[in-house]
Amino acid sequence: MMQTRAGSSRSDALSHAYIQNPPIRCNIPETRGLFYDDGNKLLLSPTADQVLSWKVGVPSQHNPPNSDLIGEGPVLSIRYSLDQKAIAIQRSIHEVEFRNRETGLTFSRKCKQDLERILGFFWTDCPTCDIVLIKTSGIELLLYDPEQNSLHVVETKKLSVNWYVYTHESRMLLLASGMQCTVFSGYQFSAAAGIVRLPKFEMSMTKSEANSKPVLSSDDVHIVTVYGRIYCLQFDRVGMHLNVYRFYRDAVVEQGNIPAYSSRVAISTVDNVILSHQLDAKVVMLYDLFLDSLNPISAPLPLLLKGSSGSNSRSTSEVSDSISSAYEGMIYSDNWNFLVPDLICDVENGLVWKICLDVEAISASSSDVPSILQFLQCRRSDPAMIKALCLAITRTLILERRPISVIARAMDVLVASYSNFLRSGSTPPVTQNTGNDQSTDGSGVASEHAITGTANKSIIADSSSGVSMHSPSSSDDEVNPEESEKQVRDKSLQSSVSQQMASHGSSVAISPDEMYRFVFALVEDEMSGDPSYLISVIVEFLRSASREKLKMNPDIYLMMNQLLARSNQHTDIALFVSNKIIEPSKEVAMQLVGFGQQNYKIRKLGMDMLRQLSLHHDYVSVLLQDGYYLEALRYARKHKVITVQPALFLEAAMASNNALHLAAVMRFFSDFAPSFKTTLDYGRYQQVLSELS
Amino acid sequence: MGVSSMAAASDGMQLQLCVFDLRRGQQEGQELDKILFFYPTDCPFLTQLSLVGLCEGIITFTRIFSPEAACEVIEAEKHSHVFYEAEPDIWMILVVEKSKDDGQVWRCEALRGVLKEVHSLFKMFHMSIHALLDKKPSGELARSHLHSFITDYLSDFQLGKRMQMPSFRDSLKERGTVQMLTVSREVALEVQSLITSISSCCNGCDSLILFQDLLVSTTLPPDDTANLFSYCTLRLTPHALSSSTSSWSYLRKGHSTPNLSNLTTLDEHQSRSRDTSQGQNSQISSIPRFLQRDKWSKGKDGFLVPNFPSGEVGSFVLSTPVVWNQQNDNCKYLCVYQHKGITVVMLVSATSLANGEQGLVQVKNQFLENVAQRVTAVEQKLSRGWGGENAYHVSGYRYLLIDRDRSVSRATPAGKVTTLKKESLVYLNKLREEVDIEKGRWHRDNPHQEKELEVSIRAENNAWVIAKVIRGKELYMVLEKANETLLYATDAVEKFSNRYCEGAFSMEY
Repeated sequence: MMQTRAGSSRSDALSHAYIQNPPIRCNIPETRGLFYDDGNKLLLSPTADQVLSWKVGVPSQHNPPNSDLIGEGPVLSIRYSLDQKAIAIQRSIHEVEFRNRETGLTFSRKCKQDLERILGFFWTDCPTCDIVLIKTSGIELLLYDPEQNSLHVVETKKLSVNWYVYTHESRMLLLASGMQCTVFSGYQFSAAAGIVRLPKFEMSMTKSEANSKPVLSSDDVHIVTVYGRIYCLQFDRVGMHLNVYRFYRDAVVEQGNIPAYSSRVAISTVDNVILSHQLDAKVVMLYDLFLDSLNPISAPLPLLLKGSSGSNSRSTSEVSDSISSAYEGMIYSDNWNFLVPDLICDVENGLVWKICLDVEAISASSSDVPSILQFLQCRRSDPAMIKALCLAITRTLILERRPISVIARAMDVLVASYSNFLRSGSTPPVTQNTGNDQSTDGSGVASEHAITGTANKSIIADSSSGVSMHSPSSSDDEVNPEESEKQVRDKSLQSSVSQQMASHGSSVAISPDEMYRFVFALVEDEMSGDPSYLISVIVEFLRSASREKLKMNPDIYLMMNQLLARSNQHTDIALFVSNKIIEPSKEVAMQLVGFGQQNYKIRKLGMDMLRQLSLHHDYVSVLLQDGYYLEALRYARKHKVITVQPALFLEAAMASNNALHLAAVMRFFSDFAPSFKTTLDYGRYQQVLSELS
Repeated sequence: MGVSSMAAASDGMQLQLCVFDLRRGQQEGQELDKILFFYPTDCPFLTQLSLVGLCEGIITFTRIFSPEAACEVIEAEKHSHVFYEAEPDIWMILVVEKSKDDGQVWRCEALRGVLKEVHSLFKMFHMSIHALLDKKPSGELARSHLHSFITDYLSDFQLGKRMQMPSFRDSLKERGTVQMLTVSREVALEVQSLITSISSCCNGCDSLILFQDLLVSTTLPPDDTANLFSYCTLRLTPHALSSSTSSWSYLRKGHSTPNLSNLTTLDEHQSRSRDTSQGQNSQISSIPRFLQRDKWSKGKDGFLVPNFPSGEVGSFVLSTPVVWNQQNDNCKYLCVYQHKGITVVMLVSATSLANGEQGLVQVKNQFLENVAQRVTAVEQKLSRGWGGENAYHVSGYRYLLIDRDRSVSRATPAGKVTTLKKESLVYLNKLREEVDIEKGRWHRDNPHQEKELEVSIRAENNAWVIAKVIRGKELYMVLEKANETLLYATDAVEKFSNRYCEGAFSMEY
């Protein structure tokens, strides 16, 4: 899945993020609005008496909409239960209707008309309740019984609510209250930890004048889930910046702010990268909070529209092209809604676009290679492609003979990433999970505690980054955000969200073995001349790897030895072997023995290594090759080496022209190898001996 | 034995050191021209000539039988004459007195080690004697350089009024070898990485890293490493810089403040040489005396500051010491940085610097900017893993371990050796002498075939004195208050071998 290479016609335009053609088409006639059910990742479009639903993330051609009868009546908001057995439909600001999909039975829950209004609701997988109803007077936690098609109140929490923000991705509910809507109560409804109540906190707003008190709108508060951490980005319109808060189990910590260059700002997250869309300026800025840095990754650049790769949708390619050319002017048009985390809904045209990152363009835009590698290693969208990119970048780094300090940092990044990958049990630290939220619930927070210390238990986010939606409402604050979807025209729905299917089973982390095969072995072929640079590079790699206690394949040591021997750095070989920079192994030992043709001292290093590794057979063989047959014999007897042929000892003794020694060897085998006297060797050397004496 | 040397001996003179060139002074009456250096310098010419005459005669005679290796030693009743052919036809002779009263027992190879060391250090700083003779055929350049260098070198052996040559008490030491610090793999990689960054800030120069008086890493070939290492431990390490001497030492240190008074007055004697020109005195004073004590001091920036008069070395005029590579005649600046226990020696190739010595400032700045911090980090790691001056002491054992292939040795710390009885050390000295002779025999028989040898001697005071030679590696050991069985001795060696030598000396039968 090489989205980044798709749309080569546009590759000359500079951009770090783009929307992928074709979009999902939701413009079927006679539908009344488009809703996004982020709990089930469904795009929902009600008609007069039924609702059409598309699963997001499935290739659009094979994704005909399902339909369910929902009966007549207005639809302010609609969500399927997480087990999809029931549908909840908000019919008015006072009534939510529940409909069992199997039986078709319905009932309604109404609130006190004069005292409160329903702001919205959502289904939850938290163990104590199934559905949460948010009202101006507080929240109700309800259990749904599909058999009876009835609700039981588990708990009600009384508090005044102006508006709320919820994303299924984070399981976080933020309730705004107060005159300026800046006082927040937060709850997390997670499957693992149950209901977690956050301490009340206040968001800050810059005052324009002494008396004016700006009111915070729900549009300006974005819950962002990256790396399994939950952040909140709050747009301060007067201060022209976004305040960044991070949620912990027992605290909300302000992290600083990032600038805004537009009076309207939208936020998306793609592959754990935060995209801050400057709508007026029509540019997007990218932030990676992995290392808690609030500096943008790259310069602000426009969002592009890219065509799909031909193979992906052959039948629609013509249509796509026409759309893409026509659509170019519509980028950041006013009727775009940004859905959590990475979708854009064009309400006017009934299109849903997916935002993608062009990691190649990002990596090409910066000269700080270690940081780029760090960035790439945190990406999860297309592991195979990103891994290949990382390998290519590393190779280039070496071939360009960049300073070793830079190489060292790059190696540190790659090795740390791999060791992280190993530690998290062969699962990337932040899993991209398309379908099943629960399966990896909390897997991404392992690294959190280290950063925050033990006192602040981090809030666990579901590491889902599939398609879900919080729609910034353009209507009144009291209205459920999902109602804000405008009517869209009837058209066929297509999904361009296919990349996430490929993300399982592989990782971007580069193992030492891959490092050897795809970096060192390849650059060695291309590099000529003094190998000392490459040796230094490998030393840096070994240094990083030893810090992370990674096991090395002997291949890399063989290569090092080869390089050192080629440049006659025999001192270095001796040093590296003696202080175990080159770890002992049979392969290395035999190679050193082989080098002995040029340098006998190196051969001895190899022999010592064989002895230390208790490779008795090989040690004895090498001793024999060098004519140390008596030593070999003694060693063989002590370590009970019986695999070396007596003939070899006898030949060596013969070669020394010493009848005494030959006789001794003969005697040895006669005494200690019972069958020796019956062999041909015995007879032969017996004769030789008699001739000599 | 010349009469004159006998006379000198009776004066309380225990030591003579002579360097002469066989090719010079061939004509009668010009014999003095052969002599390039003579210690003591105030020795009458007649005595000098008589020693040289004797040695020359013996050399010429023994060459008839053994053209490759002429005479090694003359053992007379009262003196030993140790021969060393430093360069073709350049001979160094060391004469030591065998005095009965204080039991001075020498080992010939150890004495030759002194000659080898001073010559190789000389070569490192001043090029070969041949090269100096070629430059000024009159010999005046070679003479003046040898004079200042060897007298400075000998000052280290001065013990009060006497010269204390390495004796049987030093038989658990091996001159000319390097003592290494054992580091973990992780630290070794750290150090290797440091070397890369050092080399990148001085155009790929060679470097040597020492911690305390032990070598951590080197990029030089073994012989250059050994030379530079000796120089470092003599003059550059924190230990060598501080005048106070601690009990711990791997090499001998000046036992007292050296008495240089007689050395500085030597110029007059030297100027009596026949070919001495009028300018001799000024010439001598301008020779940088790299072996003189207290010439290095630590600067504020961490670099050691040499305080030598700028002089002409080769074709360069400079105040920073230069050294000459053994392999190729490349001149390199000696640049030393020190932080706490760590000493970094860089050999900056003169040809790599654009504007000669001035370029060194640039190298130093680059070093301070990019590397100094890492040196500090490595120093911390090394000192954390450092077991102190007795780190390599193995209780119950007094040992010396030599790896000839790598010119590396490790030994019981000097402080612990002193607990041995005198007799044990005398035995060991004798045993080493025998091993030296045996090794020489092997080498003459077949230089490519390495042999094995093991000797265990039951000495006085319930001691075992053991020597074990296995293919390039040597182990000498003294076990005192030891059980009387040979089995005990071999077991002890086996244990030691497995524990500290990776089984290199283990019994194979």
